[in-house]
Amino acid sequence: MNKITLGTRKVTMQFPGVIALSDVDFEVSTGEIRAVVGANGAGKSTLMKVFAGANPGYTGDVLLNGEVVEIRSPLAAKKLGIQIVYQEVDVALVPTLSVGENVMLNDMVMHKGSPMVNWRKLHTDAKEVLDRLNIKLNTRVLVKDLPLAQKQMVLIARAIQSQCNFLILDEPTAPLSNTETEDLFNLVTHLKETENIAIIFISHRINEIIQICDNYTVMRNGQIVDTSPITENTTSQEIVEKMLGRTFEAFIPKEKVEIGDKLFEVKNLSGADGKVNNVSFYVRRGEIVGIAGLVGAGKSELCKTIFGAYKKTDGEILLNGESIKVENPSKAVAHNIALVPEERRKEGVLVEEDVAFNLSAANLGDFCTFNFLNRKKINENAESFVKELRIVTPSIRQSVKNLSGGNQQKVAVGKWLAADCKLYMFDEPTKGVDVGAKQEIFRLINDITKQGNGVVYASCENSEILSITDRIYVMFDGEIMAELVTADATEDIIMNYAVGNKAEKA
Amino acid sequence: MATVKKHKHFGHFMLDWAAVIALVLCFIIFTLVKGKFFMSSNNMINILRAMSITTVFGIGLTVTMSTEGFDMSACTLASVSAYIFVSMYLWYGLSLVMSIVVSLLVTLVLHQLTMFLILVCKIPDMLATAALMFVHQGLGQWYIGGGAVSTGMRLPNGNQPVRTILGDDFSAIGRSPWIIIIMLVCVFLAYMFLEHTKHGRYMYAMGGNRTAARLSGINVKKTRYMAGIITAVFITIGGILVASRGSSAQVGCCDNYFMQSLAAVFVGRSVGGANRPNALGTLIGAMLVSTLENGLTIMAVSYYILPAVKGAVLCLALIAAFASKKEE
Repeated sequence: MNKITLGTRKVTMQFPGVIALSDVDFEVSTGEIRAVVGANGAGKSTLMKVFAGANPGYTGDVLLNGEVVEIRSPLAAKKLGIQIVYQEVDVALVPTLSVGENVMLNDMVMHKGSPMVNWRKLHTDAKEVLDRLNIKLNTRVLVKDLPLAQKQMVLIARAIQSQCNFLILDEPTAPLSNTETEDLFNLVTHLKETENIAIIFISHRINEIIQICDNYTVMRNGQIVDTSPITENTTSQEIVEKMLGRTFEAFIPKEKVEIGDKLFEVKNLSGADGKVNNVSFYVRRGEIVGIAGLVGAGKSELCKTIFGAYKKTDGEILLNGESIKVENPSKAVAHNIALVPEERRKEGVLVEEDVAFNLSAANLGDFCTFNFLNRKKINENAESFVKELRIVTPSIRQSVKNLSGGNQQKVAVGKWLAADCKLYMFDEPTKGVDVGAKQEIFRLINDITKQGNGVVYASCENSEILSITDRIYVMFDGEIMAELVTADATEDIIMNYAVGNKAEKA
Repeated sequence: MATVKKHKHFGHFMLDWAAVIALVLCFIIFTLVKGKFFMSSNNMINILRAMSITTVFGIGLTVTMSTEGFDMSACTLASVSAYIFVSMYLWYGLSLVMSIVVSLLVTLVLHQLTMFLILVCKIPDMLATAALMFVHQGLGQWYIGGGAVSTGMRLPNGNQPVRTILGDDFSAIGRSPWIIIIMLVCVFLAYMFLEHTKHGRYMYAMGGNRTAARLSGINVKKTRYMAGIITAVFITIGGILVASRGSSAQVGCCDNYFMQSLAAVFVGRSVGGANRPNALGTLIGAMLVSTLENGLTIMAVSYYILPAVKGAVLCLALIAAFASKKEE
């Protein structure tokens, strides 16, 4: 088999306000499994999307066997034999069609010819592909009835069925259990041995990478910092250090606040369809508790389960030492618990409504006289928060959808400040906001604790967690791996637990 | 809301007020062609009277649709309300007020089924209420024995009705000025509720983004339930108006009002750039429909092609409504 190489020369990718990739030189050749690692926002996905034709705006060259090729659409990528399996498998599959149809979907779409479907041929062809990959699946089963791991297999089969020399797997193991991961690894190794193929494997789980990959490439801040072979001597410690580098983000000072007694506690909490597993932690008055962990570790799910937005299957929630029942978010609010969710536009603010309404949405009852809205009170409240939080808006009657991301976030926080809560949970509050707004959000959080309230701060930005919190819980796969005192923690320590190493109980 | 729109340019303005502009144009054209007849106070009252029922049903739908809900069975349920109302009055000789109360209660009880399917069984609104249309039709006709409830008719079991004539108060409900007053009161109440009360704002919040509303601590199930109950009240009022205006409860007497009520809500969505179902918009939508119908009739357009003209104008209003939405 002839080796084929795929690479980039000085590829740069800019998004408004961000340089996601800068001058990236990368190369991979068939017959290898290459890991691409890096912290969130390092540029891994951006680079993969360049290969997949999903980032048509790149500058620089993509090289196939040393020759410049243009990949400006997903179709162009497929024609060059580059296939990608995204993490969200459900968006790429048609759940109501059979396995066979899903496997052969590209073929059906790409090859013009008879308008009639030859069902027998379709199923035998699909069967052949699955056999080639040692996947045991009935081609006539509907995809919606398959578990997630098998859906992934169907997607890989579809990729292989077309011409495929480069298979990109974007965090394929994140949602899989251990045995499912094992099956996937067998498939990947089998592919490498039997096909003329390179597999680019993105994962946050460093141990897996050491287990199955031949080489690894480390990305940081949009650049490739290292590419090395994986040998017997490679340690996860070493890779993590390269991922983090020695540069740290601007330090945001944490103010000293007196910490009181226990305000809030969860005991053995499980829920969110198994994505939160036996979690226990507590928050004291005036304390900021960080929930660290990688994307998909279950941080959002934990916050939403506490807030009653996801179903709790087991465990206990205590506020001021008393057990409380939180069946739905409306109960949580009644207990003075607030959540600033991750998906700001979809979950945090009512984009169609104006600033004034948003700032009173969490406790509209307080702005009413006999259930009738008191516009004056609503406006006064809005004016005061716009001033206090420095929300940049032409008027309080402006629809929130017209504000910038940082200002939308301030509205999402302001809504709860107006409601005078006791426990504030922040889920990735700095996602997509600029540095200035970030500082103001931190200032806000500091102010919250000064009034003796508790804060839960969930984020995958470890530098932020280190600078603002008092204590940290590190999550992995829905479980808490370790409890750390921020003063003694470092990014290395957090990352070590975040990739699945469990702390030994003291 | 209108104060925000200061900077909207002319095109936006036209789209936002398309329904109103269409209405004004209708008035101008009909006045030019048939001035004396069309602009007479009698005819104005005719228009208002004719639009009352559509408006009341439209208001009911507006409340449900403000939560992004839907109720296809609204008017079949209204027919049942009408059967109950007239039968209580004629067959069993209840007073007018008691007949209304019983009709309202039965409607609310029947509406629990709608809410059960939507909130407990989690069937999408459209499908649940489509199925319930048949249930309402069948149950209603079973109750009235397949024939109309009117004066001079026996009960399904052969008994003589207690009352043989309709009282003046019964008929007054369906005549002007009462029918117009009732319509205006309904619009006013719905307007106050949706725009100026806490729960009304919850409904719009929920309609705008259910997840965000839920995560703001709004009890979305309760809010949807409340919207359904309010809709049921308006449905009953509509059914009573139909019965009183028709001096009887014919089989399926309200069923045909559904589509034009829905049209009124959709036309009204865009009025003033609200971009969501709203009470005043629905009133204007209903007025547009009935003005057209009235004017065209006066112009001696054959009644059998009226629906086509009406439909075409509705299409234009809807194009305006959704064109403005697309631009955002």
